[in-house]
Amino acid sequence: MARVRERDVTAFEAVYDGFHRLVYGIAFKMLGDPSAAEDLAQAVFLKVWSSPEAFGGGNFGAWIARVTRNRALDVLRSRATRPETEMPANIPLEGSLDESVFARLDGERVRSALAALPDEQRRPIELGFFGGMTHDEIARRSGLPLGTVKTRIRAGLKKLRVSLEGSVL
Amino acid sequence: MTTIHDDARFDSIAVLALGALPPAEARELEAHIAECELCRREYDEMRAAVDALALSAEVTPAEFGGEQCARLRSRVMDSVRASAAPTTAAKVTMLAERRRPVATWIAYAAAAAALVLAIFSTWNLATLRSENAANQSQLALLQAQLDAQDRSTNEARAQLMLEESRLADLIAPGAKRFAVQDGVVVRSGRRILMALRHLPALPKGKTYQAWTLRRGAKAVSPSITFAPDATGLALIELPESAGNVAAVAVSVEPEGGSKQPTSKPNFVRSLS
Repeated sequence: MARVRERDVTAFEAVYDGFHRLVYGIAFKMLGDPSAAEDLAQAVFLKVWSSPEAFGGGNFGAWIARVTRNRALDVLRSRATRPETEMPANIPLEGSLDESVFARLDGERVRSALAALPDEQRRPIELGFFGGMTHDEIARRSGLPLGTVKTRIRAGLKKLRVSLEGSVL
Repeated sequence: MTTIHDDARFDSIAVLALGALPPAEARELEAHIAECELCRREYDEMRAAVDALALSAEVTPAEFGGEQCARLRSRVMDSVRASAAPTTAAKVTMLAERRRPVATWIAYAAAAAALVLAIFSTWNLATLRSENAANQSQLALLQAQLDAQDRSTNEARAQLMLEESRLADLIAPGAKRFAVQDGVVVRSGRRILMALRHLPALPKGKTYQAWTLRRGAKAVSPSITFAPDATGLALIELPESAGNVAAVAVSVEPEGGSKQPTSKPNFVRSLS
């Protein structure tokens, strides 16, 4: 990224080649539309090119995944017919995976770990992460008490971490 | 929220790490996490799992390849190359430099052709070749000019896309607006945008710099530097996430920006 900051097109190309499947994949999973996902992926990469200083260091993969998710949430929010819901807040990069760990993970391994979770834990996690729902919305949609939803999210994330921990986390 | 640790917060911390906690609750919990080591550690563990979760969406070459993959790559890289192209002034210089050797070459070619004609007045082939070469040089020059115009258009298009995205957020129905002197600060989702006008042009060596005050922090942090356009207008987006920012400010600083403000701010605006 240091070279991208110096407007090095070749360095940017390498960044694009390394992360376009992740960026497009997140966009497609959240928006469900190939064309919208392409537009969003393009916007994310142009943002990386036009404002490379926005990446403050650390794990670039985790950072660009968060940027993509936030942009996709903007699109989902603008599509929603329900009254405007404020975006869930977040804490930037502190506590994220370090670069070497992220590099050793792959989509297939995480998909397997996610699929191994019980439905009751996987579903609220996916609704929250890819569906952009708040815990209240997940509880309403699932017909479950809010406390139950929160407990299941935590249990699922802990299991996911343990499941991946043996290999890389 | 109290800073005394309580395991009962752990469930909410998982929801926060997932990004599914409503903003008001998230802000309170973030303030607590900043003070509580145990909750911070719990958050870090949950956040690592959530980061890994993003990878589950990564598509394989079989799922995203071929024409679609090539199209996206082309769209992105064309825009990037266009914006990385030389500035207009550099293009003019480049074209002038190209023009010079061509003109010289044409002059040599013409002289050579005249000499050939003088010696071999019946031999028209050399003249025809010379004219053909001169025409091709002219065509190459025109093509270079067209390419330069294309790059310039693509550059403008990429910039326009960014501006449109910022303008869309400025007028988004859910955006919160905070008036400042000669402008407005807008919080739209996680984005913070500033539209400022009547900004005086600064002397050489000076720049405008934005500052953010994180929730719970006692001092401001440096954000981006920027310059208004020729009409004194600046439309900028801060890289910080709005969820963590309690206030923003702008001041005039030495070129390259400062770590701490060195002049009285143009404005300081609370975002609550």
